[in-house]
Amino acid sequence: MKLLRDLLDKQVVDREQVKVGKVDGLVAQLRPGKPPRIIAIELGSITLARRLGARPGRWMARLAVKLGGTQHGEPHRIAWRKVKDIGIDIEFDIDVRETSIFAWQDWLRDHIIGRIPGA
Amino acid sequence: MKKLLEISLGVVTSVGGFLEVGSMATAAQAGAMFGFQLIWAVVLGTVCIIFLVEMSGRFAAVSHHTISDGIRERFGFNVFLWPLLAALLVNFLVLSAEIGGVAIALELATGIGFQWWALPVALLAWLLLWKGTFGVIEKGVSFLGLVTLCFVVGAVMLRPDWTAVARGAVPSLPVHDAANYWFMAVSILGASISPYLFMFYSSGAIEDRWDKSYLGANRAIAGLGMTFGGTISIGVLIVAALVLATHGVTQVDDYHQLPLMLIPIFGFWGFVLFVASLAIACFGAALEVGLQQAYLVAQGFGWNWGEDRKPRDDPGFSATYTISLLLAAIPIALGLDPLRLTIFSMALTAASLPLTVVPFLFLLNDKRYVGEHRNGILSNAAVIFIIALGFVLAVVTIPLQIFGGT
Repeated sequence: MKLLRDLLDKQVVDREQVKVGKVDGLVAQLRPGKPPRIIAIELGSITLARRLGARPGRWMARLAVKLGGTQHGEPHRIAWRKVKDIGIDIEFDIDVRETSIFAWQDWLRDHIIGRIPGA
Repeated sequence: MKKLLEISLGVVTSVGGFLEVGSMATAAQAGAMFGFQLIWAVVLGTVCIIFLVEMSGRFAAVSHHTISDGIRERFGFNVFLWPLLAALLVNFLVLSAEIGGVAIALELATGIGFQWWALPVALLAWLLLWKGTFGVIEKGVSFLGLVTLCFVVGAVMLRPDWTAVARGAVPSLPVHDAANYWFMAVSILGASISPYLFMFYSSGAIEDRWDKSYLGANRAIAGLGMTFGGTISIGVLIVAALVLATHGVTQVDDYHQLPLMLIPIFGFWGFVLFVASLAIACFGAALEVGLQQAYLVAQGFGWNWGEDRKPRDDPGFSATYTISLLLAAIPIALGLDPLRLTIFSMALTAASLPLTVVPFLFLLNDKRYVGEHRNGILSNAAVIFIIALGFVLAVVTIPLQIFGGT
């Protein structure tokens, strides 16, 4: 498997097939004398901004802290051992509702979208 | 039998998607100024969009991914960002132009200035997206869109010289206003080969749960639907050439000149038909472009999306189309001339084509997505031709905008 080709930017779904996001980044562990190993994937705007450069990454992290508090200052991670199936989509054995990945969508629902009649 | 019904539905739908403010305005302008001479641009644009729509549908039916998904996944975020930004900008302008088209139709019908209609039109479109399902939007609006067939009927009733029409289908060099001629050709191509159309089509295929059994239907819908759409555009062009030019209108620079087109043929009903055609075609397109903005963002970032779901289930998706419609209404509400905006955005669409079409060459040849249903030589040749055309258009658009723009 080629990591960049088959993993990065692929669709992530949870065990209910809910679309969680795309694989925005990969976290590898460097091991002395052995090849590096993937230990997690990262999702979210901070990871994406980091891919554009170190400075956009810092700006986005600062913005995320300002909007969401210190717990949103780091990208979301899903441990690689949770991976269930790798096809065109990557399925993880998680329930996205138990993570904070959708925190901003929940905020949007509770404060804006949900208040508009007919939502 | 069920498939046949499905195909005819699809054809009607794609006619609704094809004809919008851009194709109507550019065809009318071209007809008034150059007679039948620019019919070739409509034909060329239609052939190109047939290929792209067929590929877009095939990609979605086989891989269960949309084109936006594919671009992000295959090329990575840093590359995806460019087509994303280009498409968001072009779609914003086109959406604004469509809202402007409906607003102009309402001004013609009521006498109340178009800028007052921008926000109500955007609100009505939003309400349909908010409460409606994909089926309602797709089928309802496009059935109403059949009223635009009045241009074809009108063109036939005018008894044009059909050999002259056929000659117009072959490209020829202009005898006057060369810069204007090529600018019109670029705008017509931009209006026919619209990225929102072929990107939207792949999302529609997912919304309608297409699988491999739809490949034949997809081919028929793409071919017939786009051909019908192109035929109506040619109808507009013929009517404009025969009616507007003989009434001394050679330069369409004001929407108020346009209702004149159908009046010599249908009398007062010609006025009604024109207003209804403009309003319905533009409103349908506004719904599609507004939805496409949300598809694009949601698919690019991997969120949940779906027009059949409740807005509260996909807050990111529904917030995107809400904001898109609101923003797009603002330029028209401030009084920006919808006709100038339309022509400008069609030329810009043409210039943005390479960014959205180059990915087709890779996605439709990638076994992991489309397996054995990869592009054949003909489809690949068509994509390469459209890319080359897109690059030429991208290079010539800005100089032509300056020298030939109206």
